[in-house]
Amino acid sequence: MFRRILLLGFLTTAACEIGLADPPRITAVLTSSEVVVGETVQLEIQIDNTRASAITPRAIDVPGLQIHYTGESTQMTMRNLSVSSSITYSYTILPEKSGTFKIPSQTIRVGKDNLQTPELTLRVGDSPRATAGGRGNRTPSGSAPAGSGQNADEKIAFAELLVPKKSAYVGEIIPVVLRIGFKSRTQLRELAVPQINGQGYTVQKLSEGEKNLETIDGQSYVVFTYKTAISAARPGDFQIGPVEEKANVLVTRRSPGVRRRPFDPFNGEDPFSDPFFSMPFAGLMEQHEINIKSDPVPLEVKPLPAGAPASFSGAIGSFTMTAEANPKRVQVGDPITIKAAIAGRGNFDRMNAPELSDERGWHKYPPSSNFKQDDDVGISGTKSFELVVSPNEKLATIPPLVFSYFDPAKDRYITLQSDAMPITVEGNAQSAPSVAGAATGAAAASNLAGGQKPQDILHQISEPGNIVDTFAPLYARPGFWLAQLFPLTLVLGLLGWKVRNVRASNRAALRAARLQHEKDELLRKLRRNRLAPRDYFSDASRVVQLKTALKENNIEPATVDAETAARVFSLDPEQSERMRRLFAKSDELRYSGGGSGDGALTSNGRREALELIESLS
Amino acid sequence: MKVPAIFPGAAWRAFLFGLLVLSPAVNAATNDDLFAKANTEFNAGNFKAAITDYGAVVQSGEWSANLFYNLGNAYFRDSDFGRAILNYERALQLDRNHPEADANLRIARDQTHALELAPTPLEKYLNFAGAKSFAILAAILFWGTIILLILRRRKVLWMTIGLLLTASCGLAAYKLESGTRGQDVAIVVEGNVEARVATADSAKSVLALPPGSEVVILQERGDWSYAALPNDLRGWISTKAVEKVRL
Repeated sequence: MFRRILLLGFLTTAACEIGLADPPRITAVLTSSEVVVGETVQLEIQIDNTRASAITPRAIDVPGLQIHYTGESTQMTMRNLSVSSSITYSYTILPEKSGTFKIPSQTIRVGKDNLQTPELTLRVGDSPRATAGGRGNRTPSGSAPAGSGQNADEKIAFAELLVPKKSAYVGEIIPVVLRIGFKSRTQLRELAVPQINGQGYTVQKLSEGEKNLETIDGQSYVVFTYKTAISAARPGDFQIGPVEEKANVLVTRRSPGVRRRPFDPFNGEDPFSDPFFSMPFAGLMEQHEINIKSDPVPLEVKPLPAGAPASFSGAIGSFTMTAEANPKRVQVGDPITIKAAIAGRGNFDRMNAPELSDERGWHKYPPSSNFKQDDDVGISGTKSFELVVSPNEKLATIPPLVFSYFDPAKDRYITLQSDAMPITVEGNAQSAPSVAGAATGAAAASNLAGGQKPQDILHQISEPGNIVDTFAPLYARPGFWLAQLFPLTLVLGLLGWKVRNVRASNRAALRAARLQHEKDELLRKLRRNRLAPRDYFSDASRVVQLKTALKENNIEPATVDAETAARVFSLDPEQSERMRRLFAKSDELRYSGGGSGDGALTSNGRREALELIESLS
Repeated sequence: MKVPAIFPGAAWRAFLFGLLVLSPAVNAATNDDLFAKANTEFNAGNFKAAITDYGAVVQSGEWSANLFYNLGNAYFRDSDFGRAILNYERALQLDRNHPEADANLRIARDQTHALELAPTPLEKYLNFAGAKSFAILAAILFWGTIILLILRRRKVLWMTIGLLLTASCGLAAYKLESGTRGQDVAIVVEGNVEARVATADSAKSVLALPPGSEVVILQERGDWSYAALPNDLRGWISTKAVEKVRL
């Protein structure tokens, strides 16, 4: 669907373009306004902006000229959806005699319009071969450049090298123009891209040939102009060229071996002997391969003078430089990009990046470059460089960039220098490697600390050192995880000890609770005052044993006697004596067999015993 | 298995015993001899022979920082600066405080204008210690935390502090291992190497890499490796043009 809409739009636009097209226009030109007797020239009548056929005369009557219609060609062009067409009607003109002829204005009917061609003038000279005694076997060939002394009429093609300088310096770039021309009446079928060869210099790629119609020595030539540049590699005297080129051209067919008739009024130059007249549709032209050769151009190449600056890298020409740096605020070690542009005219291919005038405290990275040429062969333009540098220490400015070149016009070296670029560098200076021990190492360290590039590497080491068998990170090595068994064992041991302690502490607590409970029960019984003396003293001694065991965890209650209790509770002698009596009475009543001992216990005795027990703490 | 006649009975067992017990010692002696021979070759100016001998020791798998440092010197003298830088880097991987390797590495980089990977801000901050140190510290902190948990009462506070420190050290070790000095760092050893936007020699160039330049291999695909390049760029480079620092 979209395509249909597009096609419809296109057709509509085309129809409008045709409908609104400019009115028909007519031009008439001669392929050459000068010709000699016996040679042909083309008359081309071109009608632009027309699609209708024109009614043209089959023959144009001019006395002294044979003008014959030879065909027509139609050309259609479309530019920005604007379609235009043109029809060209060709006539061949064969002068019968010398002189100046006027080809009158012709009226051509195009559709409803009548168009007028301009009046044209054709100058016809005498044929030189007519005076030389015959047409001879003229072979189209190349010839010397114009002005080299040969008769321009002899040339159907030429080549010439234009070099603006006769002397140059080694490495200097010199523009060269190569011109190859063909007579306009010849038709060029094939022309290879020419080459400039020679020793001692390099030649850049030729530009695309530029085609122009020029009149040289009264002859009309189609001239192809190629531009390039050369650069000498060494001093000496050289020759640029010659340029030799082969071309295939179509020239007017001649009938070979025309015999001169005894009464030949044209003296062998009978125009009607041309095959055009015998075979008008068999072709008027024939193809020839011609050699075109230019003259060589001498060039003296001088060496560059001595005394080149340190920053000179081979640039020759005339240049200007600009530079800027970003960012302006960085940390030590961070990159800063310096953009430098060198503009002018010269050998940009040999141009290196400008350098810092003082590299101390800076680490440089390889620069990148980009060249934008302003002409066809790259002699003039702007080469942009990006230099990345990083400060090794706190610095206030980027040192000026310096760039040196040789100016052949001034015959001296010139050094360009940018302004210092202020920046702010933060952070601490990067430490130079400290090389301890060997003297060479110390020397290297001092060199590095001074910001100078060391000239040589440090020494070999005679001992292999610690042997390892892997680059794997520590955590990826089995040894690392095996080593974890040691802390793991320690942790497990600690855990066992901790559990054991907890369990032990639980057992002691249970025992204490049990003893406490028994002690409290017995004390309650004692306080009730209802017990028989034997039970009373037995329980009282038991309470003392329990209290003693509660105070000293490692004592079993059954093993406590009066002495132990007195020691544990630090009793005074009187209390100790009372304690001994208590235990003795208890033993007596339990083991003597004297019944319950009711008569042996008074209320005072009970109270004293109870007070003694309760005083224990 | 039938024992060959040349090793009957006890002789065969003695031979096996010798292989098992004595071969490492014999191998070490051979490598020491080779190392000394390579040093002699180097001092005599036969750098290619020295490279061969040092290379034989490297092939044996018994590596040391000094071995790679000496090998780097031999490559330097042989004007193979890319491989010189590679071996200095290897020496520094095995011993990050190898001053001679560090100094010669700088010289070699200046020779080739090799490009270096810029460390990330975190790597710059952690540069005071290596991944190995952080891994050891993480292990110590972990076990210390566990032991303190066993011994001390305020368990939650100690556990939180200890585990945070352990995780930080582990993360630091991982970051250093995966960063610009980590296990995927490679060195350009060939000349005229260009990183490209696609796996074709005709693809547009991203960055020209002088010999000795550092890259981090991110992915390998046939003859091409996708790598992180200096200046925060990414590109495809020919696999054969680079060698990983870690063997």
